[in-house]
Amino acid sequence: MPLPTSIRKSLMQIVLLTTGIVLLFTCAAFFTYELVTFRQSMVRQLDTLSQAIASNSTAALAFANPEDAQSVLAAFKADQHIVAAALYDQSGTLFAAYPQSLAADALPARPGDIGYRFEGGHVIGFEPVAEGGQRLGTLFVKSDLKAIEQRFELYGVIVAIVVALSAVLAYLVSSWQQGRISRPILQLAETARAVSDRHDYTVRAAGPGNTFEIDLLTDAFNHMLTQIQQSDRRLHAQMARLSLLQQITGAIGERQDLQSIFQVALRSVEENLPIDFGCVCLYDTPTATLSVSTVGAASQSLAPSLDLAELSIVPIDGNGLSRCIQGQLVHEPDVREIQYPFPQRLARGGLHSVVIAPLAVENKVFGALIAARRQAHSFSSGDCEFLKQLSQHVALASHQAQLHSALQHAYDDLRQSQHTVMQQERLRALGQMASGIAHDINNAISPIALYTESLLEREPNLSDRARSSLTTIQRAIDDVAGTVARMREFYRQREPQLTLVLVDLNRIVEQVIEFTRAKWYDLPQERGAAVELRTELAATLPGVMGAEGEIRDALTNLIFNAVDAMPEGGTLTVRTRVSPGPAGVQCVRIEVADTGVGMDEETRRRCLEPFFTTKGERGTGLGLAMVYGMVQRHSAEFEIDSALGRGTTMQLIFPAYTQEFMATMRMPAEKFPQRKVRVLVIDDDPLIIRAMEDALTADGHSITSAHGGQAGIDAFLAAHGSPNSFGLVFTDLGMPHVDGRKVADAVKRSSPRTPVVLLTGWGQRMLDDNEIPPHVDRVLSKPPRLQELRIAIRELTA
Amino acid sequence: MALLRAFRALAFILLLFVANASAAPGEYRVKAVFLFNFSRFVDWPTSAFAAADTPFVIGVFGSDPFGKDLEEVARGEKVDGRPLQIRRVQSVAEAGDCQILFVPAAAQAQLGDIVTALGHRSTLTVSDLDGSVQRGAMIRLVTDGDRIRLRVNVDAARAAGLTISSKLLRSAEIVNPAVEG
Repeated sequence: MPLPTSIRKSLMQIVLLTTGIVLLFTCAAFFTYELVTFRQSMVRQLDTLSQAIASNSTAALAFANPEDAQSVLAAFKADQHIVAAALYDQSGTLFAAYPQSLAADALPARPGDIGYRFEGGHVIGFEPVAEGGQRLGTLFVKSDLKAIEQRFELYGVIVAIVVALSAVLAYLVSSWQQGRISRPILQLAETARAVSDRHDYTVRAAGPGNTFEIDLLTDAFNHMLTQIQQSDRRLHAQMARLSLLQQITGAIGERQDLQSIFQVALRSVEENLPIDFGCVCLYDTPTATLSVSTVGAASQSLAPSLDLAELSIVPIDGNGLSRCIQGQLVHEPDVREIQYPFPQRLARGGLHSVVIAPLAVENKVFGALIAARRQAHSFSSGDCEFLKQLSQHVALASHQAQLHSALQHAYDDLRQSQHTVMQQERLRALGQMASGIAHDINNAISPIALYTESLLEREPNLSDRARSSLTTIQRAIDDVAGTVARMREFYRQREPQLTLVLVDLNRIVEQVIEFTRAKWYDLPQERGAAVELRTELAATLPGVMGAEGEIRDALTNLIFNAVDAMPEGGTLTVRTRVSPGPAGVQCVRIEVADTGVGMDEETRRRCLEPFFTTKGERGTGLGLAMVYGMVQRHSAEFEIDSALGRGTTMQLIFPAYTQEFMATMRMPAEKFPQRKVRVLVIDDDPLIIRAMEDALTADGHSITSAHGGQAGIDAFLAAHGSPNSFGLVFTDLGMPHVDGRKVADAVKRSSPRTPVVLLTGWGQRMLDDNEIPPHVDRVLSKPPRLQELRIAIRELTA
Repeated sequence: MALLRAFRALAFILLLFVANASAAPGEYRVKAVFLFNFSRFVDWPTSAFAAADTPFVIGVFGSDPFGKDLEEVARGEKVDGRPLQIRRVQSVAEAGDCQILFVPAAAQAQLGDIVTALGHRSTLTVSDLDGSVQRGAMIRLVTDGDRIRLRVNVDAARAAGLTISSKLLRSAEIVNPAVEG
């Protein structure tokens, strides 16, 4: 790479070199011309002189006068450059020479051709000597070239002076003129340095104004500066928007709800972009409309005049909104030119340019960000890009907020499910426990049931009071059995097989009041509190389809709760009435009201949850839950009206049975002749065996009992084949070692035609599940009823 | 023609060689050349010739001392376009027809008569006789050693209407007959 040189130096070199070359060529041409013309003129002069001499020497030759010839030749003295001359006579013999002292051998021996030529630094010539047409001899002349040399020496001096003067002149002129070129260029360089040092792109360079190319260069430089200035400005604007975007993104990232996200984004844009109006709309897919979700804080005052207040609906017409819903950013530089309702609405509100950016997640538009300004054509492409990116960030943040909310929901659901599962687990444990308890209770009440039934049937002399007590006992036993059965339903989690019958609610209410007298009358009195009972029963009441036992239990629960709510005493009102229900169906209402402490909102809301109790250790939390279960199973309704300190009113609302009320009558005990059957009763509970023995013996059957499964099988096999063989076997299901199934199996194996009846505390459940084990002809649940026992014997031994 | 010219050139060179060899002094040979050369350096008036094609005549009076030399010099030559004749002039009356008349020393007795007879006629009279210029001859050929010099009587020539070239006069000796003979 050559060393850099300055323009000044280069220009100087160019000028001097050009001058030098021009001068060189000029001089060369001049010298050549001079040389040629000078030689020609020299020859011509020599020729003229020689002709004159030749003419004068004719007589000398003609009349052989050498002296005369000498004198004629002496005329050559006039020209100092003629170094030699000679005359030759007609025969070519040297006749006379000049100068006289010249040696003969310095001359040509004989004359040569006529004419002149340059030879060895001299010019030599031969001239004919003739007179009157007769050739008399030849003149030889020889001249040196010193004349030329002298002339050229002179020229050399002149040329040297001219060259020197030209060089000096060229130097002066070029150093004067080169400033016109180099000065503006240096100024340009100075300007460029100033620009890059200070980063000030407003500086402009001034051109010289008189040099076309440099003016062009200056203009180009200034144009470039303008471009850089614009780029710099755009870059700064872009940086500002980027930092704003980052700030907004950071702010909305900290928020979890949509309103807050939208508000923060809108406020930032209003203040910093800025805009005159901003709002966020959410897209409703089914109705294909936009509803204004959030209006920016500074835009609130403008919103009503635009019909864009929060929650107002914007229909999507064929304008920019539909394009926005398709996911495009819509920019209308001047809405006055758009003839659709929405832009016109903005224009009427004084907003003339608008950008609508879609809020989309995974290509699905769920809303739009609307930013508007009063001035038309005021959104730059940078602004649009900014709003587009902002809308993407807002959409993402919204999506995250929605996800967060959904997650929260899912989490709550999960916790609820976990809670339910835990409760079910508790129910299951409780159910298992209840199942065992039920078994025991059933066993325990079986003798009571059997004896009560026997007494009522076989003792005609009972006093009315005794008969009434026995009937109550019998009903209570039935309810115990029903309660025990329902207890198991808790953990079975399925609709129990309800057998709905037409019931008279008034009668049930009376029964329950009777059952619970101890609760609402005796116990409060012991504490010194008085509960006043009011019964307001409708005179006539339509029947309802229901399970008596369940309704009784529910009512009992409600009365217990009411009494518990009045620790200081109060009024307990039980009311039945008919009311018109929905869709013209009549309803029968049972109302239980107290004047107790009442429930707060939280308690009211949760009181139906299983295991929710306000009674501490005394409560199971299952009372109202069971009531609710009954209500659901009867397609009834349950209304709770309560306030703290104002007591509670609970209503059970049953749809009325439209047919005429018919009191259910217990089928009278059949008095038909029984075949006398030998019966084997197998149970591990001696009380049950005894009760069955008593009950069945009274019917005339012959009873053999066995304690436990193995003993029963032994007894059956011992009697089998003999006249005392058994006609029927009652066996308990749950027995240690050998249970009812094995007993049935053994019986059937030896005597397939002997009927086996399984008695079980789980009997109900077994029936429901169609779980009648093989070899068992019938399953009866405990406590067994006399009637059932009789029917089984009659049917199976027929 | 070319062959002929070449032959003549050869013959001329041979003749020169012979002349130089035969007559070393060659006095009359030189004089013959001089006589011929006078025709180059002297102008004759047109009245000297009878007609346009009248030959230029060189005459030798009396006994001819040149032998064949004069014929050899004059052979083929022309003067101003006129053929050149060599004539032997035996009488004074004939002398007037010559443009150049050589009067040899042998005819010195007739010189006066000839000059008188010629009067102002345009005949250049040449002689090698001593004192001939004083006696009216226009040019005298003076033998000086091995050289021949010229003495010219300019007035006589001018009187005869002849113009003698200044070039000739430069290499000649101009004589005033009244002073010198």
